Amino acid sequence: MTAALEPIIGRYVTVTLGGRPHRIYFEEAGEGPPVLCLHTAGADTRQWRHLMNDAEITAGHRLIAFDMPWHGKSLPPEGFQTEEYLLTTEQYIETVLAVTEALGLEAPVLAGCSMGGRIALQLAALHAERFAGFIAIEASDFQAAWYDIDWFDRPDAHGGEMGAALVSANISPHAPEAERWNTLWMFMASGPGVFRGDLSFYTRDDSLVGRLDRIDTARTPVHFLVGAYDLTCTPEDTRRTAAAIPGATVAVMEELGHFPMSEHPEGFRPFFVDALGRMPVA
Amino acid sequence: MLETLMQMQKRLGETPHLLRLGRLFSETVLLEIAEAEYYLTFEKGALVSIEEGPSRKTPWRFAFMTDAEALEAFWQPRPAPGFHDIFGLVKTGRGRIDGDILMLVKNLRFFKEFMALPRKGDLA
Repeated sequence: MTAALEPIIGRYVTVTLGGRPHRIYFEEAGEGPPVLCLHTAGADTRQWRHLMNDAEITAGHRLIAFDMPWHGKSLPPEGFQTEEYLLTTEQYIETVLAVTEALGLEAPVLAGCSMGGRIALQLAALHAERFAGFIAIEASDFQAAWYDIDWFDRPDAHGGEMGAALVSANISPHAPEAERWNTLWMFMASGPGVFRGDLSFYTRDDSLVGRLDRIDTARTPVHFLVGAYDLTCTPEDTRRTAAAIPGATVAVMEELGHFPMSEHPEGFRPFFVDALGRMPVA
Repeated sequence: MLETLMQMQKRLGETPHLLRLGRLFSETVLLEIAEAEYYLTFEKGALVSIEEGPSRKTPWRFAFMTDAEALEAFWQPRPAPGFHDIFGLVKTGRGRIDGDILMLVKNLRFFKEFMALPRKGDLA
C-alpha cells in the first residue's frame, strides 16, 4: 500500500529573459480557468501549496505557481556568480509574461502576494489585456523600507536567518505555529542576496504610484486582500492604493499577516474563495 | 518589572534553543520602560545580570525603549495588531530602538524570543 500522493505536479520550463535562458520551476493543480500565483520576496512556490492541495478550490480552478529566477528550484542565470541580483519592475514584468506565454495560459487570473501583489498591479496598469483579473494580496502602491535592505546580504552574518527574524514581525499571532515556521523556513533557506535583491524592487521602485489611474476595473477587476497584522503593507497602505483605483475592492483580514496563504491557510481560504468569485469566468 | 525580568532570566536559562541561538551574543542591552532603566548583560546567550538604572556610566550596545502598558499588550498570548512584535511597537510609535541596530538584527530572533518569553506563561 502506498501513501496518498498530493495532487500538486511540479515541472520545469525554460524561458528567455533579458536575452538569456532561465530554467523555471512551476507547480500546478486543478482544472478550470487558470489562476497564476506569485510568491512573496525571499520565498517560493511552497507558499501556495495549501491552496493547491484544496480539492474544492482546484475542482473549479487550475492553480499554477512558479519560482522566480534565483528562488526555490529555479536556478539563477548562467554567470550569476559574478552578478549582483537586483530585481527591477521591467525584469519582473518580463518574467511573468514569459511564463504566462510559455505555459500557454489564456487570460489567467493573476494572484500575487507582497511584491507579487505589487507586480500584479503593474500588470493591471500596463498589460491588463493578458489577464482576466487581479487578486492583489498584501499589495500597495509603494512603501519605503523601514529597515536597511543591506542587512540581508553580508559576509559576516546569515542573511536568511536575519531576514526570517525580520519578516516574522509580519506574521499574525493567530497563525498556527507549524505554518509560521514553515513560512519562515523559506526565508531562512533563500539564496544569498536574493531577499535583498527582491526588496530593492519592492522598497525603491515607486513607478506604480503614477500608473494606478491606468487600471480599468471595468475590464479587469482588482480585489485587494490585506492582513491586519501586516506591518510591511498595512491595511492603510492597501486602502490608500485601492482608493486610487476606481472600482477596486478591499477585504481586511483581521487575524492574518503578510503571508496569509502560507502562515494561516485555513484563515485565508474563505477570503481567497471570495476573491476568486469576484473574478470573471472565462 | 524587575520581578518579571528575573523570571525571564530564569526562563531563558531553561530554554536550550534560545541559549544556542544566543551563543555568540555577549552584550549589554538597555531596556527602558518609561522612566525606568534596566541594563541586561548577556554572556553567550545567558542573561547574567540585571542592573536597575538610572545610570550614565553603564555602556550598552543597543537599547529598546517602550512603556509598561505597551509591554503588557505585547506580552498577551495573542497581542493586538501592532503590539505583536517589537518592530510593531516601533512602527506604531510605542517603542524605539537606539544604538547598534545591526547587532540587534544579527541576533534578532534571539532577542525577539527573549522579549516574548512572558507570552508563554503567566510571567507578566
